Amino acid sequence: MRPSRREFVKWVTASGIALSLSRLGAAEPAGYPARAVLPGRQNWNPAADGRGRIDGVAKVTGAKLYASDFRAADLPGWPATTSHAILVRASDATRVYLGMDLARLSGALKPSVVVTAEELAKIGARVPEFYAGDLFCPVGKTPLYMGQPVALLIFEQFDAFDRARLALRDGTFVKSGEETGPVSVPNYAAFRFTRVAGPTPESPDVYSPIQAGWVTPGRLQDTTLPVWSSFAKETLAPYGKAARYGEQIRAELDAKNPAMLVLDRTFETQSVDPMFLEPECGLGWYDNRGGNLELVLGVQSPYEATESIAYLLGQARPPFKPAHINTQFTYIGGGFGGRDHTPFVLYVALAAMFFPGRPVRLAHDRYQQFQGGIKRHPFKIRSRIGIDRATGKIQAFAADHVLDGGGLANFSSSVAVVGATAAIGIYDVPKVDVTTVAVHSRGVTAGSMRGYGTIQTMTALEVLIDEAAAALPLNPIEFRRRNALKQNGRTMTGNPYIVSVRTPEILDKLETHPIWRQRAAEKARLAHSGVLVGTGVACVTKDYGTGADCSLGRVEIAADGRISIHCDHVEMGNGIGTALANRVAIHLGAAADEVSVARIDTYDALGLVTSGDPYTMDQKTQDAAARNPRWVPAISSATSASIGAHVGTHAAAEAARVIFRYGLWPAALELWRIPPSDPRARDFAKARWKDGQLILPGLAPLALPALAATAHARNLVTGAITHSFSRWAWSRARFQFGAEQHRAEIDALAVRRGSGKFTALNRVSVWFPPTDNNRIGTAYASMCGTLVRVEIERTTGALRIAKAYSVLECGQPLVPEVVLGQSQGGFAMGVGYALLESLPPHEGGPGNGQWNLGQYLVARGSDLPLRDLEIEMLPPLTPDEPPKGMAEVVMVPVVPALLNAIFDATGHRFNSLPVTQAMLKGALA
Amino acid sequence: MTRLALTINGRAIDPIEVRDDLSMNDFLREHLGMTGTKFGCGAAQCLSCTIIVDNPDGTSDTTPTCIVPAASFNGKAIRTVEGHARDGQLTALQKAFIDHFAFQCGYCTAGFLNEAQVLLERLAKKPVARTELEKTIEEALDGHICRCTGYIKYHEAVRDVILADPQRYLA
Repeated sequence: MRPSRREFVKWVTASGIALSLSRLGAAEPAGYPARAVLPGRQNWNPAADGRGRIDGVAKVTGAKLYASDFRAADLPGWPATTSHAILVRASDATRVYLGMDLARLSGALKPSVVVTAEELAKIGARVPEFYAGDLFCPVGKTPLYMGQPVALLIFEQFDAFDRARLALRDGTFVKSGEETGPVSVPNYAAFRFTRVAGPTPESPDVYSPIQAGWVTPGRLQDTTLPVWSSFAKETLAPYGKAARYGEQIRAELDAKNPAMLVLDRTFETQSVDPMFLEPECGLGWYDNRGGNLELVLGVQSPYEATESIAYLLGQARPPFKPAHINTQFTYIGGGFGGRDHTPFVLYVALAAMFFPGRPVRLAHDRYQQFQGGIKRHPFKIRSRIGIDRATGKIQAFAADHVLDGGGLANFSSSVAVVGATAAIGIYDVPKVDVTTVAVHSRGVTAGSMRGYGTIQTMTALEVLIDEAAAALPLNPIEFRRRNALKQNGRTMTGNPYIVSVRTPEILDKLETHPIWRQRAAEKARLAHSGVLVGTGVACVTKDYGTGADCSLGRVEIAADGRISIHCDHVEMGNGIGTALANRVAIHLGAAADEVSVARIDTYDALGLVTSGDPYTMDQKTQDAAARNPRWVPAISSATSASIGAHVGTHAAAEAARVIFRYGLWPAALELWRIPPSDPRARDFAKARWKDGQLILPGLAPLALPALAATAHARNLVTGAITHSFSRWAWSRARFQFGAEQHRAEIDALAVRRGSGKFTALNRVSVWFPPTDNNRIGTAYASMCGTLVRVEIERTTGALRIAKAYSVLECGQPLVPEVVLGQSQGGFAMGVGYALLESLPPHEGGPGNGQWNLGQYLVARGSDLPLRDLEIEMLPPLTPDEPPKGMAEVVMVPVVPALLNAIFDATGHRFNSLPVTQAMLKGALA
Repeated sequence: MTRLALTINGRAIDPIEVRDDLSMNDFLREHLGMTGTKFGCGAAQCLSCTIIVDNPDGTSDTTPTCIVPAASFNGKAIRTVEGHARDGQLTALQKAFIDHFAFQCGYCTAGFLNEAQVLLERLAKKPVARTELEKTIEEALDGHICRCTGYIKYHEAVRDVILADPQRYLA
């Protein structure tokens, strides 16, 4: 059992369905040219001089961009009218499902088609392994979870649909019978991460997951929770070894050693909803004349969505197996992880297949989105920390995590691992033992969400650190500094980070900031006012990347210098398109005229093939597969905001580098009349772009259009398509260009010369990151620290964030304005998580279909210090430091910083989230 | 049923028969295909569906559309996000939203744009003191939910449009 953030089985072949995927171009708003969405230099291009986003005009003019904007009439070649579907869900997961009473839908309100488990079984649909579980709960079974779908109702006309959904709003037509209690399902995953460092920082570890692999316990009996003991009979040897070291660590923490401060604390986090503003939506049309299934979807994982649908229908009986699936992907109205591997798309496809010839739209309303959308995992955490009182150094840490994964496995195992390996945060701890188990429950399915397990475990940790500092006593920032992991130190899995570790700088910034320096004075200033003042600090790290990330990019330059970029990652508000334009401009000297994201249809020239699972493959298998010059460990991966800069732009940047090196540079040499024998012909690295002109000292500047024209005229490289794969390191390969070999962090390359066609180049050699890297917890990480000052009214418990400061590092920011915006948004989401947002996990929770924003509170402008939030980005260490993912880390430290500030103000340590006004009022009573 | 006639973005819409319980949001999105006005919650809590109503007395208000029947707009004049720019020229507010990177996913943008536009028009008629400006903006925009940005850049964009023309907007 290994967690896999992405399943990449070769369903396409197995299913015998041809797939094509493309980016759905936005319909143009009235009065705007078609290119207004992505204006080039010919139009007003706010991205060209850093004054806006490439999608800015479309978004302020109401252009059709999102899946929910499109109807059949908007799509060329589709029928004119759109039918509508309702996905009916069961709200009771403790009693047998008896069926639906649709008597209230009589006459015109009667659905044209009703699809249930019975119909699904008849057509031979298969459930993709990632979504294992009944797609529809069959009559006679107890639903696996609250909100499990039971039927699709399809209405030919909008009016019938609209009236029916109102009639069905209360959900009482879904009938339940005998009480059975919730369905019992084995846990989704259980792991133990144990590390014992050697006697010195330089010496090898005594034991670590990198050395011994990741381990999972056996089971003694059929219980929900695993048996962690090393004596468990069915325990395999590798687990027993980890468990014995872990038990030693725990025994040391239990030893009542007076020289050691030991704290033993529990912490609970809550279920929350990503609450992206656009509820999930999709449009499907099965054109049964030609057997084509046409889809319009908005997801973070386009490749996976299409392959899952192909698997779903791959062995369906005629006419339910399409010959061809064409999926068009749109912009998304927020994601935050909740649209990565969402089962919703399967139901869109089914709606289309069961109403052939008619385009069908399936759209959640907000109640349904709460009821069926992916949630954040609630954690129950017990943490023990042992600190040498004399030195203030952390000696040992042990923790136990239990995650509620809800009804389907989804990413539960992966979230468990990421949360566990983040449990020691920024610290260097020589002895660590963390167990984690993700369990099934009748709650709504939990999966990927910004923070991905780390916001839960690092909040618990940073609150514990604050308490430990007070108990020692040591200044909280000094305590953090003494224990912070150094650049070459080892993480919990036993590997060092392979990127910069700038925690000391961040702690220095926090310590010298006025919010921290003036904390006592501010407390005193309002001492007799009825307002309690507190200041809190926290500093965290967040991994970015999944250990199997792919980047596809295609860049072309026309004879007139126009640049176009295609990328497979998705625009989810993270500004990936703008970041692409800026990163390519570094190499080609100008902003792109066209940037197209979510494209996975334009890389055919690479002829890529793949096999196996990149997470579980052994080295021998990888080495054998790599002999095929077209093979890569994986082709395309899901988008998350935190990897947009690092992963999403990588391949396009490498493609641009190839165009420069083998297209524009030789063109420049010709225009400068520098022969190949001249030593300056090798000076490409010294050339710089300035104001659209290529500069080499002592020579006349050359304008991009002149270079492009020459490159085309001389049949030089004018386009490149690249692919790369990262398993905590990018793949590397060499390609032959004439007498030269081009070495780059890519594993596949196709080039276009002049105005010719793209041709793949066979790699001369390739290095894929070793499969042992799968034992790494994380190797890419960004750090962020936050200070907050809160003011709490003693009588009401009302909390106001008076001031806040976050400092982060992100390498080279590709679009600083987007980094700043993500940081501000992350702060807001963190405030909501800490103080406002909460969903009951089971009964009374969102699975009942009755939740909306009236009950579920997210941070609004008035909850935030809009004029008193300061964000500081550390400048990159070097001008060419690669961009680092930062969109997740920025929402994490605000949560523990708020809890620490609340303690500073009230003297009360809360050990669960959220801390609401009512709780504060109660604590102060 | 109601025979609904109204003016949208300065253009009279031919009367259309609509059910009395059809929401304005669905009228715009499903009947007219004007999907610039978004659907977020259906409970008037997120305000991403906000549009502008131009009153006969020359004033304008904003209103959510998700819970308001289309029929209640009979005879009225409204503006939506699709109607702000004219002849391909963006308004100062639209440009400011882009210049400030005010939005990320952009799903809430139409609501913020309409709310801020009404604020500008109100201030043009009844300016506020500079010292009241930030508070005025905060009060006007509060209630609109943005899950991506943390609101700051929206507020700064609106503020800068006002500060760029202080004689018009400030007392």
